[in-house]
Amino acid sequence: MRNATCVKMALNMLLHSKLRSWLTIIGIVIGVGAVVGIVSLGDAMEAQVQSRLSDLDLAKITISPGYSGAQSRMGGPPGHGGEEGRGGSSSTDTKLTDDDVDALQGIDGILYIDTQISGSEEVDYAGETATLFITGVDPQVWQYMNSLEVESGRLLEPADKNVAVIGNSISTEIFDQDIGVNQVITVNGKSVRVVGILEEEGGGEDKRIYMPIDSAVDLIEDAEEDVFDSIVVKVESEDLVNPTVEEIEEKLMVSRQIHQEKDRDFSVSSSLSLVESVTAMTSAMTLFLGAIAAVSLLVGAVGIANTMFTSVLEKTKEIGTMKAIGAKNRDILMIFIVNSAMVGFVGGIFGVMLGGFVSTLFPYLGVTLMKGGSGTVTGLSPDLMAFGLGLAVLIGVISGAVPAYRASKLKPVDALRYE
Amino acid sequence: MLMEIADTLRTKLDPRKTLNSLKGDADPGNSSTGNGTGYDSENDSDPELHEERTGNSDTVKSSRNGKVPLIKLTDVWKVYQMGEVEFAALKGVDLEIYEGEFVVVLGPSGSGKSTLMNLLGCLDIPSHGTVSLNSRDISRMDESELAQIRGQMIGFIFQSFNLIPTLNTLENVTLPLEFQEEESSRARERAEYLLEIVGLSDKHHNLPSQLSGGQRQRVAIARSLAVDPPVLLADEPTGNLDSKTGNYILEFLDELHRKEGKTVIIVTHDMTPVKYATRVVHIKDGEIEKIDEVEGNFCKL
Ligand SMILES: Nc1ncnc2c1ncn2[C@@H]1O[C@H](COP(=O)(O)OP(=O)(O)OP(=O)(O)O)[C@@H](O)[C@H]1O
Ligand SMILES: [Mg+2]
Repeated sequence: MRNATCVKMALNMLLHSKLRSWLTIIGIVIGVGAVVGIVSLGDAMEAQVQSRLSDLDLAKITISPGYSGAQSRMGGPPGHGGEEGRGGSSSTDTKLTDDDVDALQGIDGILYIDTQISGSEEVDYAGETATLFITGVDPQVWQYMNSLEVESGRLLEPADKNVAVIGNSISTEIFDQDIGVNQVITVNGKSVRVVGILEEEGGGEDKRIYMPIDSAVDLIEDAEEDVFDSIVVKVESEDLVNPTVEEIEEKLMVSRQIHQEKDRDFSVSSSLSLVESVTAMTSAMTLFLGAIAAVSLLVGAVGIANTMFTSVLEKTKEIGTMKAIGAKNRDILMIFIVNSAMVGFVGGIFGVMLGGFVSTLFPYLGVTLMKGGSGTVTGLSPDLMAFGLGLAVLIGVISGAVPAYRASKLKPVDALRYE
Repeated sequence: MLMEIADTLRTKLDPRKTLNSLKGDADPGNSSTGNGTGYDSENDSDPELHEERTGNSDTVKSSRNGKVPLIKLTDVWKVYQMGEVEFAALKGVDLEIYEGEFVVVLGPSGSGKSTLMNLLGCLDIPSHGTVSLNSRDISRMDESELAQIRGQMIGFIFQSFNLIPTLNTLENVTLPLEFQEEESSRARERAEYLLEIVGLSDKHHNLPSQLSGGQRQRVAIARSLAVDPPVLLADEPTGNLDSKTGNYILEFLDELHRKEGKTVIIVTHDMTPVKYATRVVHIKDGEIEKIDEVEGNFCKL
């Protein structure tokens, strides 16, 4: 039998199949739709996470006071260390001091150590008041630890006093009147001169004020000399992050004379561990959703197999007739398998359509997850569509294999006698 | 070798003649087909036609003297196992069928006629004894060889027509040729020609459900002739038809036997086909009771 004949016969069977066999296609439609939707959701999530995390400097480690179990290690992005230390801490009165900085000095692989304090303070400008987040940084090293760029003016320099570098949106949005370089803002009643305006970063980064730590101590409430809200360390490369985190923990345990894990009063976190845990979380989620999709595919496959068994039974006499007029076992096998593959293909087309439709809903369903990123979720990629169709056809072939084999093995006499 | 014989026999048939003699009297309502266009082209386009002719009118006769039987059954038993009970549907049947015969197997219901036909048509193999086709034991052939033999040498005609309900008339007739991997344009031409012969040229696109019983059986006959097999096997071909239509079918088979030298085997409980037979095999309770030779059937008409 020629391939063309086989396809013709299989197509003929498909076109004449009953409504109830079309209904079993729904299983495949939903299964393929779910798989395609989930894969595209996974891709979109990964793209989001990647674009959010690519801004992070993965070679930074943040030490903050207080410790509240493992989850604090996930921490926040660098620079947020201060906030972190305040929330979730078991002992808010613990402090990071110069002694801790000294303890870090001997560790290999550390390039810079930046000591930071921070707080939300009242900022006045041109008769308006806003509460803004102020970070006091070590002007000796701060500019080397960040990839921040100024739009105008300059970054902080070691000799600076009572000056600030401000985020882009503070300059343009927060106050009615734009703040320019060399203009003076008032923080908690004290004058601070703006020396630089940062380039737009997106998100909360644009609403920050950076000052030399010595000046910031005088402005930020509760701040003390030589007491830090966080210590930020930059290491030579990403590879060194995890070993360095361990070494820092050991050194600090010794220098702070802590002997048991439960007495620990500081946290060490890195952006890298954040990235790792976010990646682990998204892939766990994708895996979980994928498992659900796999179950629906399995149900779909059983549905097709069931339809094929019924169809073989219904066509027993026809199979007998075809064998009587010269069809070989292989011919019958191929006709039924191709038919089943076609059923899968049709299911796949609708499934891919369903998946495409579902993926257009992501922005509405997963707003919180997708926050900040837009445009990454635009339909399905051609590869994914081809994958969905291929998967459906494969399932058709697999679930049709056994019924088709049964059909091919029918003895002509028995098949002809079947009523 | 058999195919070659069949081909040479086929040249004896003048399609026009067959058409004229068969059309009209069976289906008076269907006289739309007619002028002999296309027959010559059909002949031209069939390279399998052999120019050589046997030239010997005896070939058509049941020629048993010194000839090898086409199908030979030797001590054939067919035993059905139903749980504990065994039932012998055929009990030691010996039968030889020669080329060009018109054999009617006659017997009451349940006597084992269909069982016998299944063996003659290579649809089944015996429990015991041998069925040889052209001196080859079919028990030793594998599934695809048997399918090959059925597809090329035997045309089946069933009581219940057994057309494929989802294929139209033309496709049903083309199907056996497709299984033989005949080129599709050639297969189509052949099917159109055969449908013209059985007087159904205007029903190419009807599904079997859109045909009368007699028309369906004519489609089935056209299908059985598609590969031009030397043997036609019919199990109660007229069982589901009224006597007039039944007679038309029998006349047609007789025509194929006499003019094209087809070996025709009809299995039935009905006496009507006996008048066309060259031999009548009486079967009862799985055994052959007697075999009647009918002389002079070739001179009929
Ligand atoms: N597959 C089978 N299993 C068991 N018994 C069978 C089987 N096929 C046929 N038989 C038995 O074999 C006997 C002969 O059956 P068969 O079909 O050959 O009869 P038949 O002569 O064709 O009858 P009819 O004229 O009614 O068609 C019957 O008694 C039937 O019950
Ligand atoms: Mg019978």
